[in-house]
Amino acid sequence: MSGAIGAMRADAAKLLSEGAVKLVLGYCVRGNERYPCFISEAAQAEALDFDQSCRQNLAAYLRKPEVRGRAPLAVVSSPAVCRSLLVLSSESQIRENEVRALAIGPKGYGGILGLGALGAWLKADYPDLVPEQALLDRVAELSAKTAQERAKFWMKEFEKCTRCYACRAACPGCYCERCIVEKNMPQWISSAAAGHGNYAWEVIRAFHQAGRCTGCGACEAACPQGLPLMLLNARLSQDAFEEFGSRPGYELEAKPLIGSWSAEDDGSFIR
Amino acid sequence: MKLLDRSKSTDFAAALAAAGYRVAAPVSDGGLVRIKEWAPGAEIAASEMPLNSMKDFLFPRTEVIGRWTLEGDGFASQDVRPDAPKTAVLFAKPCDAAALAVLDAVFNWDCKDCFYNAKRDAAAVAVLACGSADEHCFCTSVGGSPGEAHGADLLFRPADGGLRMIVEPLTAKGKALADAAGSALSEGQAQADPIARPAERFDPGKASAWLASNFESPLWKELSLPCLGCGACAYACPACHCFDIQDEGSRSESVRCRNWDSCGFGLFTLHAGGHNPRADQSARWRQRMMHKFSYFPQRFGRLACTGCGRCARLCQAGMDIARACARISPRENA
Amino acid sequence: MTFEPRITAFVCNWCTYAGADLTGTSRLSYAPNIRIVKLPCTGRIDPLFVLKAFEGGADAVLISGCHPGDCHYASGNYHARRRWSLFRKLLAFTGIDENRVFFSWVSAAEGQKFANLVNKVTEQVRAAGPFGERNLARRRL
Repeated sequence: MSGAIGAMRADAAKLLSEGAVKLVLGYCVRGNERYPCFISEAAQAEALDFDQSCRQNLAAYLRKPEVRGRAPLAVVSSPAVCRSLLVLSSESQIRENEVRALAIGPKGYGGILGLGALGAWLKADYPDLVPEQALLDRVAELSAKTAQERAKFWMKEFEKCTRCYACRAACPGCYCERCIVEKNMPQWISSAAAGHGNYAWEVIRAFHQAGRCTGCGACEAACPQGLPLMLLNARLSQDAFEEFGSRPGYELEAKPLIGSWSAEDDGSFIR
Repeated sequence: MKLLDRSKSTDFAAALAAAGYRVAAPVSDGGLVRIKEWAPGAEIAASEMPLNSMKDFLFPRTEVIGRWTLEGDGFASQDVRPDAPKTAVLFAKPCDAAALAVLDAVFNWDCKDCFYNAKRDAAAVAVLACGSADEHCFCTSVGGSPGEAHGADLLFRPADGGLRMIVEPLTAKGKALADAAGSALSEGQAQADPIARPAERFDPGKASAWLASNFESPLWKELSLPCLGCGACAYACPACHCFDIQDEGSRSESVRCRNWDSCGFGLFTLHAGGHNPRADQSARWRQRMMHKFSYFPQRFGRLACTGCGRCARLCQAGMDIARACARISPRENA
Repeated sequence: MTFEPRITAFVCNWCTYAGADLTGTSRLSYAPNIRIVKLPCTGRIDPLFVLKAFEGGADAVLISGCHPGDCHYASGNYHARRRWSLFRKLLAFTGIDENRVFFSWVSAAEGQKFANLVNKVTEQVRAAGPFGERNLARRRL
């Protein structure tokens, strides 16, 4: 891994010194923690680091005007971040030449990749990024319970939500300028951090990621209350894959799952 | 001296509950520790830093402050009173108790906030001095101490290597707590443990002075770059007190509720006409720093930060108010 | 007192609403437990409508539109079908199961089908019981 990090640092320094990018988004180590860091000079590239504990999805920064305003950018990109970049690209949120990836993962450093090259790297080295088995087991365990038991489980979890929206902030897919939860004419989702407002917020947040969530886990990692958000995301991703073959973040141009259709879609639940 | 065996922490909570108190305490909850209403069987984690602060019990994240029902052709106003049961907050942190002065000041400033004050008056706060601190603790940098109990009604001092706590009632409310504890407390002698000494990381006076003349500093853009604009820091903060008032209606009734709000949100200052005076995250993060270390001290003569470190501890983006203060006001010897 | 379910029906303007009209003009009677909300197309039915109905007091929600291939706007019902397929599973995962959310295709010519559908759905919800005021999706401040 140290060789991979060295190569990544060298490429970051090269891009900055050549002027090919103005800002590099990466990770740094501070104590036992991993944090996002931003470097704009080649000499700072030594600060960049990477390991499996880097859970923040740096693609979330691409919605931030202060970051976007400094394009062209390079982003230290784990496979999960690469997938998010491809989702953002397929949803016309970022363009080739605006963002480059310094692709890095458990199998090593993939080099400086344009958006068009990310899919090939992912398919070659990480073709089947699926949720961890332990997570899927928890999803299966909960799915096997009765509706009443599931309602009780989620009630206990959702009641903890303070509506700080750290989940939304951490998610690259949440790039709406004005989130549905902030619309109040009409007020679709109660702003109170309690009751049906919390239920609606959690369910709708998850559903707005249907066919878009790449399973990076940044939302759950960001939740100060420890809500098991990945159970919702994983269940939705599983359904979307089994039913529609959806595996977001592998293609530069992909039709959005919700927003496209097929005459062959299952209709057996419709009377 | 009065002593509480650590193993009798839950007995203490149970005795207070039996005496009619709603008991709030740091409780293990699915691997996390949070201050929540104690119920029999809940395991008290007295020394842990809970992820939320005590303010949840005085200034809750959502509070109904008005209610109207539709009757005939008009609305009938319902009488909404503060929900303020007699409450004992056990094993609060010194930094949480210190933040009470901040909340007291702002909720009794231009008007007396009856909802806050009712809860405040009904609450007795028992602080446990800190025997340990982590790298995010910085109370000593903002005039606090892990061994002090400003704002508290009762102080527990860890003693005999953590086996016991020395119980020191400080006010009439605190004495009432000790009296209600019954056999959970005992008389005896114990050796107080040393308290934690988190490093002094910055000089708050210098920070305030720097802030007063650096509203336009380019440093704001740099410092705020990692911030993604959620409200996690403000909601975990024992001293943050901004709120939003929302009227929400159904067909039959309308509810006015007061919800926490955060200067980190873009919507916080968005005007109805579309203009936003804090147009970007650097302006919002600057506001957070300015409010705590400049505006609040100017108005109320105290900092609006007590150094609990929760904001930095939970921020995934690595925003760290103490690091920012250290950057603008390094200590001479650091 | 027997439990009378309250069922909110979101239907499209062109097929199911016309079908429901036909039920009435044919003088067919059916359970009076549904409240119909007419929308241009099933494609217009946001998942939030469903949550709002539960929040506002519905014991169940019925969503109905044009048969595949019959959409007035060509593909609104296809879009809707895909959305529902995932959303209903998410609802079930969070505790709102198949006794609470129903889907159907009813054309403008299917007055009898509409009557039968409403009767069957009403019976199923009656058997399932009230939605429950304490369910988090309903609980008010």
